[in-house]
Amino acid sequence: MLLRFHFLTVILVIGGLLVSNVHAIQTEPTPEIIARGKILYDRSCIFCHGVQGKGDGPAAFFGASYWAPRASDFTVGQYKFRSTASGKSHTDEDLFRIITNGVPGYMPPFVGWPEEDRWHVVSYVKTLHSTNSRHNEKPLETFQIGTQNVPLTVESIEQGRQVYFKFECDACHGHNARGDVPDFEAQDLKDNLGMPIRPTDLDLTNPYSFKNGAAAHDIFGTLMTGLIGTPMPSYADAFAQHEDDAWHLVHYILSLSQGSGP
Amino acid sequence: MDQFRPLVLGSLVTVFAIAVSSFPSPPEAQAIPAYARKYKVNCTVCHTRPPRLNTFGERFLENGYQMPGTEDGGIVGKKQLGDLTLDDVTNYLAFRLRGNFLRNFNFARKSPGPDVPGNPEDRTDFGWPETFQLFTGGTLTTNVGFFVDVTHDLPAGNTDIARGYFSLNNLGFHNLAHLRIGKFDPSAYSSFPLLRQQLDFVRPDVNSGVLDRIPLASNAFAAKFFGLFERDGTPIAPFRASLFHSPNEVGIDVHGRPFGDWFLYQVGILNGANETFGDSNNPKDWYVMVRLDQAESDLFSANISGFAYFGNNNAKVALNNSDVSWSQYGVSATVRYKMVDLYGAYVIDRVTDLPQALASGFDTTASGVTVEADVLATDRLLLSIRYDHLDAGGFLAQRKSNSLLALQAKYYLRTNIALFIRDDFNLRKAEGGVSPARNFRNAFLVGADLIF
Ligand code: HEC
Ligand code: HEC
Repeated sequence: MLLRFHFLTVILVIGGLLVSNVHAIQTEPTPEIIARGKILYDRSCIFCHGVQGKGDGPAAFFGASYWAPRASDFTVGQYKFRSTASGKSHTDEDLFRIITNGVPGYMPPFVGWPEEDRWHVVSYVKTLHSTNSRHNEKPLETFQIGTQNVPLTVESIEQGRQVYFKFECDACHGHNARGDVPDFEAQDLKDNLGMPIRPTDLDLTNPYSFKNGAAAHDIFGTLMTGLIGTPMPSYADAFAQHEDDAWHLVHYILSLSQGSGP
Repeated sequence: MDQFRPLVLGSLVTVFAIAVSSFPSPPEAQAIPAYARKYKVNCTVCHTRPPRLNTFGERFLENGYQMPGTEDGGIVGKKQLGDLTLDDVTNYLAFRLRGNFLRNFNFARKSPGPDVPGNPEDRTDFGWPETFQLFTGGTLTTNVGFFVDVTHDLPAGNTDIARGYFSLNNLGFHNLAHLRIGKFDPSAYSSFPLLRQQLDFVRPDVNSGVLDRIPLASNAFAAKFFGLFERDGTPIAPFRASLFHSPNEVGIDVHGRPFGDWFLYQVGILNGANETFGDSNNPKDWYVMVRLDQAESDLFSANISGFAYFGNNNAKVALNNSDVSWSQYGVSATVRYKMVDLYGAYVIDRVTDLPQALASGFDTTASGVTVEADVLATDRLLLSIRYDHLDAGGFLAQRKSNSLLALQAKYYLRTNIALFIRDDFNLRKAEGGVSPARNFRNAFLVGADLIF
């Protein structure tokens, strides 16, 4: 028993070392890479995200002056657009994806940059996390989207519509999913900076407005992870035993845009 | 008429207030003119509010419509210009419609005769739009950009390629040199570009060829002299934007930030003031500008620029006389903090090579100041104030200085659709109709500015 325990520990430690080694390659790139990332960041990102990445660049307040979203604060080390479970750390790919695609409405896409440059900036952005937030970094837990067993059918869409109302998505996103909620002012939705936030920004019938991606698996991811710092909750627990319902919901959301997706 | 005016104004303010209060929600995410559509972002990513640029937008412009710091050719997707589709055309085309629905002017008319004091007049008229602008611009490929602005001036009834140029960017190494060639606005990269202010140019009143009332324009950028002529004999209106601050001159210029973000240089050479294609006199006009920037502070940026424009036989003082050289020097600066945008310019104009015979009756130095502050009071409401002062030059017998103050409230239904009310008034004592520069008392304007 004891032996077995030790054996397990050894395996875990070695495994851990291996994993953290792989991790180290990602998180601790060479000083040259970080220096290159900084040059690019200072030329392009600084105007919105600020010198130290606090989201306080000189152009930050003009983007959405009295409303969310302000440019992200990287020092917190917590990201809104993730492929990992709620409360968990982001992956480098998450940052890479946002830099590549931008955020509809608020941040331009940097897809025209060479891929290498985008990765260099990712490395640099991570150096902006405060030491405190680096300590708190939780282990990566990439969300398992799994295989999608639910076929896209009229019935599935109808079931999704029912889930939409059952989970009261309409309370925030409106009856028609366009975000016009009659008593919206009363709801007083705010993001974590205390800035008023509107799901109108997000017309669920317009896939171009999706910040976290508009493909089926992206929307599934959004539902499961939620958007940290905003009122959009994670539904991972709610769907834990009913993953099919989540896919129905995804199908319903996709059907709203009638295939006009990007 | 005098009793009528407060009534009209009162009811308009009320209508405006109702309009304002019935849209309490924030502007929606809107992808608007060409670049905004192309990158799927709001105009406020590049503009404080159009047409003013924020610090990010300035760098995007300087880099030839490519993301700052890169040479990405403005690429946003797989499609390139080679297989341009109709869908893509909207990534290159945009238009702007603007003008005043209602104009109420209080001034003393000059038209009874050039030397007869006119009667104070209170004139109200309607008209919208006054300007239709169609513009297209972007990148053709890496480091090659273009811009064309076709403007139709409805009251004047003319259509003009206001600006049209090619740009070659990042010559040598990144941000060393960006070349513009064509018809462009020289002041585009300075701390206070002519075409980036919230208070729009307001046309003069002209009655059977007599200038009754001056236009409302920024005095720092004006021609400033009374009694100057273009080389072909066309009189140069003292309030027309000119030289470094002309909206469109033909030539070549180069700018860049070779040492980093803190320093920008620009040098250019033009056919000459108001010389479109061809150059009636061979000597060219040329200019240099340097600008210092601080953009690495929290929620704050500031910059200051100084320029010198050297004119070379580019005007006349009296028709039969030889050419004079008309030059311009100045400084301008911008300070932005949070949602406040403060900017101003002080410009001195000088005429040299004046014929001896005219020397005693002609002031060869003139100057102008324009200072504007814009504040976003809410996400939808932009308040602006502008001060203008002109120390006029030219024939002593004709020249008139003036000082004006303008206030404007601009309300954004969306980030691309705005209504505004504006009032301009003369800070000095208004005079009779003898000089249109000083007969102006007050203007009240209600208008709209749409950009798609
Ligand atoms: C014009 C302003 C602007 C520029 C320039 C800009 N961003 Fe952003 N960025 C934003 C805004 C605003 C958000 C927040 C969007 C939201 O929360 O909905 C954001 C979000 C992000 C996020 C996602 C944060 C999260 O919580 O998931 C990343 C990563 C990011 N930006 C990186 C960059 C990098 C790297 C650059 C430079 C290459 C850059 N940005 C340039 C405005 C900008
Ligand atoms: C408490 C209010 C609230 C509820 C309940 C809510 N949402 Fe949201 N949701 C938001 C807000 C606010 C945003 C916008 C966040 C942003 O723009 O940063 C959002 C964003 C989204 C997005 C877009 C993410 C993206 O890529 O831009 C989707 C999809 C979405 N919600 C679906 C749903 C569905 C489906 C439900 C019900 C299961 C739901 N939401 C319930 C407030 C809510």
